[in-house]
Amino acid sequence: MVSKASDAAAKFRRSHGEQPSDVVGTLSHKMHQIKKQIQAERIVSVKEKVEKNAKKLEDHVLKILSTASSSFTEENGSARMFARRIEHPLCKLSGLAQGYGDKDHVNFHEVSSPSSSKLPHTEKLPPYTTWIFLDRNQRMADDQSVVGRRRIYYDQHGSEALICSDSEEEIPETEEEKHEFSPGEDKLLSMVFQEYGQNEEVTKSVSHFIGASTLEIQDRYNTVKEKNQEKNDTKGSGEFGSDNGVWLSKGLSAALDSFDNLFCRRCMMFDCRLHGCSQPLVFPTEKQLYWSEHDEDRKPCSDHCYLRLITGKNLPEDPNADSVHKMKTRSSERESTPASPNAEEHTAHDVPAMKIDHENLAKRKAMKQTDTEPHDLVMVSDDFNASCKKQKRLAALDAESGSTNEIQVQDCNFSAKSSHLDVGLHKKIELQIPTNNSGSASYDESGDIVRDEQEDDMEVLELKQFSESTGQIERVSSSSEWKLMEKELYMKGLEIFGRNSCLIARNLLSGLKSCMEVSTYMHEGGVSMPHGSVVGPSSFTEDNGKTDTDHTDQEMPTKSRLIRRRGKARKLKYSWKSAGHPSIWKRIADGKNQSCKQYTPCGCQSMCGKQCSCLHNGTCCEKYCGCSKSCKNRFRGCHCAKSQCRSRQCPCFAAGRECDPDVCRNCWVSCGDGTLEEPPRQGDGQCGNMRLLLRQQQRILLAKSDVAGWGAFLKNSVNKNDYLGEYTGELISHREADKRGKIYDRANSSFLFDLNDQYVLDAYRKGDKLKFANHSSNPNCYAKVMLVAGDHRVGIFAKEHIEASEELFYDYRYGPDQAPAWARKPEGCKRDDSSVSQGRAKKHQSH
Amino acid sequence: MAKFSLGSEPVVGSLTPSKKREYRVTNRLQEGKRPLYAVVFNFIDSRYFNVFATVGGNRVTVYQCLEGGVIAVLQSYIDEDKEESFYTVSWACNTDGTPFAVAGGINGIIRVIDAGTEKIHKSFVGHGDSINEIRTQPLKPSLVVSASKDESVRLWNVQTGICILIFAGAGGHRNEVLSVDFHPSDIYRIASCGMDNTVKIWSMKEFWTYVEKSFTWTDLPSKFPTKYVQFPVFIASVHSNYVDCNRWLGDFILSKSVDNEIVLWEPKMKEQSPGEGTVDILQKYPVPECDIWFIKFSCDFHYNAAAIGNREGKIYVWELQSSPPVLIARLSHTQSKSPIRQTAMSFEGSTILSCCEDGTIWRWDAMATS
Repeated sequence: MVSKASDAAAKFRRSHGEQPSDVVGTLSHKMHQIKKQIQAERIVSVKEKVEKNAKKLEDHVLKILSTASSSFTEENGSARMFARRIEHPLCKLSGLAQGYGDKDHVNFHEVSSPSSSKLPHTEKLPPYTTWIFLDRNQRMADDQSVVGRRRIYYDQHGSEALICSDSEEEIPETEEEKHEFSPGEDKLLSMVFQEYGQNEEVTKSVSHFIGASTLEIQDRYNTVKEKNQEKNDTKGSGEFGSDNGVWLSKGLSAALDSFDNLFCRRCMMFDCRLHGCSQPLVFPTEKQLYWSEHDEDRKPCSDHCYLRLITGKNLPEDPNADSVHKMKTRSSERESTPASPNAEEHTAHDVPAMKIDHENLAKRKAMKQTDTEPHDLVMVSDDFNASCKKQKRLAALDAESGSTNEIQVQDCNFSAKSSHLDVGLHKKIELQIPTNNSGSASYDESGDIVRDEQEDDMEVLELKQFSESTGQIERVSSSSEWKLMEKELYMKGLEIFGRNSCLIARNLLSGLKSCMEVSTYMHEGGVSMPHGSVVGPSSFTEDNGKTDTDHTDQEMPTKSRLIRRRGKARKLKYSWKSAGHPSIWKRIADGKNQSCKQYTPCGCQSMCGKQCSCLHNGTCCEKYCGCSKSCKNRFRGCHCAKSQCRSRQCPCFAAGRECDPDVCRNCWVSCGDGTLEEPPRQGDGQCGNMRLLLRQQQRILLAKSDVAGWGAFLKNSVNKNDYLGEYTGELISHREADKRGKIYDRANSSFLFDLNDQYVLDAYRKGDKLKFANHSSNPNCYAKVMLVAGDHRVGIFAKEHIEASEELFYDYRYGPDQAPAWARKPEGCKRDDSSVSQGRAKKHQSH
Repeated sequence: MAKFSLGSEPVVGSLTPSKKREYRVTNRLQEGKRPLYAVVFNFIDSRYFNVFATVGGNRVTVYQCLEGGVIAVLQSYIDEDKEESFYTVSWACNTDGTPFAVAGGINGIIRVIDAGTEKIHKSFVGHGDSINEIRTQPLKPSLVVSASKDESVRLWNVQTGICILIFAGAGGHRNEVLSVDFHPSDIYRIASCGMDNTVKIWSMKEFWTYVEKSFTWTDLPSKFPTKYVQFPVFIASVHSNYVDCNRWLGDFILSKSVDNEIVLWEPKMKEQSPGEGTVDILQKYPVPECDIWFIKFSCDFHYNAAAIGNREGKIYVWELQSSPPVLIARLSHTQSKSPIRQTAMSFEGSTILSCCEDGTIWRWDAMATS
């Protein structure tokens, strides 16, 4: 222990010098030299730091001194007593001015002041740990885990701190410890390698010297080298000019990545502490239809609105219609079916939404393979793809309504507004009629044939149309280029608003593109789009989000996907030995000892099959799942008549769920009486099974319990089965709960609450006042886990009529042999206070 | 013990006493039989620099150091609750200069004693468990901060009796807080440490309006909008066991665990990401036989030296601001065998007081070197 830094260094040197180094002697010598030098530099730098700090501190202290001496110059009346005491102390205890020697006996004075002032008795609070109020459950932050951490306890009654390295599996898996390189080591690395070259032997001896693996050494050296080079480079060239247009050239998906990661689509908020960030994205199969207006009803949105253009010049719409017309006539030449090129205003949603079943999906996959062909084909096959989808929809239509081909074709014409797409469409329809009956196999074959045929036509058409449009369309702002971001924003706009350039421009491209530009772009769209995914806007409007998902799949850079997956909070499943909880916590047995299953939305497309994660986990599909509303695994809510949802006759109630106004037929939410003071009271026919959702809780008061410690009290009287409030807390895993339980058991105070098969609620440091409700075997409340909008939450309900300002109790329902000592006593008591008051024995020495 | 990589080793002080100063016992008092946990000089008011207070059991006693080893007993207070066991005391004062002795202990109640009237000024009820340390803001001596077993640190205004801020929550301590200290110049900054083995640095800059509001609050103190500060600006894992004392030394921090040493380190914060950062351990001041917790060190007014007792009743006096550290003196006496819980250095460092487990107070004075 007695060692100066330099001594230590010397010792170190010696021990190393004695080691037989079979590497080049000079190298070893050199390294020691460098080391010595670095250590010497360190000592100097520490000295400098300390001295600099000392100088600063000197000023600070002077400031404090002036505060201490300046502010109170005059003795005021109230402090007179103190001054008088200084003049006339209670007693003076003389010492020995010259001091006692080491071995001299020192007499001591017993300080027994005859007149000591009394500090009046003040009632102390029942003990508690500082906690944060939560109005909704929160998932535990990763850094709060106690799993794998060593914890040191002291024995309340015994002597000193004892280390609890927490048993068997607790020993944290010591992964290969990574060596962290200090600046000093970096210096040594670069100096040695520069002098001796980067060969194996040198690396070896360096790694031996520093104590890191050779691989680490090499890696580190490379990074150090790069850093040095970079430093030199930046010195030479200076900084990059900042380009403020940079973000526009980045893709939308990159920009959306943070949105996807941080926005909770279940709670509709950023930074959701309940579901966490980096949730897996689920795209609902059924999209809400976008809002649309007919052109005629619309008013021009601005001076640059395309509607003005139409009324004024009547230009951009016309050539397009022209081309469509031409195309249509051309295609109708081939086909016997007459196409009626009218009704431009028909938009996609006029056609009823149809689902694409598995069969169709399979077919589509087959078509998709064509995507892999050379570039000039891509466009075609994509178009083909889209049209194919359309066709499928039509097939379904056919099957259901038995309408004639003519009608179908007309439909197609209405919806396909622009570009060559039509051709493919018509061809497909032609083709589809036989396929509809003959099944998928033949369909695929014929599809291939058609595609081949189509190619030629398409190219011709494209060229033609291109020349037409370039020739005729007056380019309002042809100079403005469309950046990647703008294009993608535009595509998103199409998804959201349909072909409404006003809305797109205003909501997504404001400040970037005018409505007119958007409109122009929309009509050129099919041609100038570099992307394969651009199937012509019309297809977007029609296939009910189907292409949408495809679209995202294609565009999502794989990289960001990976990141998301890695960033996912934690593996939700783990094998938990359910041999019973070793420690105490509250649970709701509800008669049967089954715990509820945690719901995680599945990402199934359309119908849930065997792969569905919900089916797998044994939960129902909910509104947050990707699957469609008609999914067989969906919980369908209730059809109860008004306010009948408070008994087991209501399927929601019976299943331990709250009603959901989105799902149940007659359960609705009123807006209250206009005042924001209180949530709307139930009654008036409003569903009585949405009280957690609507937070229709009672006022709970916190006070000293009549029984022990703290207690929760009720402000106003309530009736049987009234909802009192939610028991909130941190959501922790069962494994974490096991560990925390052990710690809490030592403190003899636990706020753990079994929630479901994955989570336990811990209200120890975060929760609400209901965590202080005491246990009783004859309680006036009961707790119930409810599934509220996909989340399990604990509601506390009145078991009987409770008067105002009564204390609340409920049965913690400990497992048979888990009840702590105090719970077996007639009344609950959270802590054994008597043990605390015996002074600080714990601080004594350990030996 | 942590290994230090090349170029970041701390400079360790040598235990060979420099004999710069010689201290001798000049007085010894026995204050009841209960252990004494705290002794502290009044550095708040220059008129009373030689006044000190001790706590132990349910007693708070105020003394004055006089010439020639004489100690005068000025005041004595006894809590009516015999169960009370005070762990800490700090000097504070009213804005008009009335000296307050602020004490706290196992009951979790902070007692603000008006030494001017010898009456209780206020009692702060709020902490959920025992109070392990109270410190006063030297630049605004009516602000005190308390560290508690309830895992929180709280800022109080002793004049108005308001709990202004609670430093606890999502980023707070995960076990008892044992020690807390105000930064000497940055009025917004405090450091706390405790049984979760960490040292946390907190900033109240964003909450300063509440601090100001507390001075002018006329309504009931309970109605004050007390705020939670949930996230520290820096978390340091310097020790691997309980950290039972920390003090600012300028912008550096002195802290100790049960590893027989005081450590001086520099918190290196990352501006962009609060809460993160690295620690540069600069110097170490070895203190043999100092491996039990709740042993606290003290500094003189100018932070030139620190004195710390150990388990065997010996005291080590370190020169703080020299590099490498110099051991000024090692104080021992054959009769001093009981663990020393805390020391107090006088303004100039010429007097050192120690309070012991066995209820004794020792006075050591620097002898003129002949």
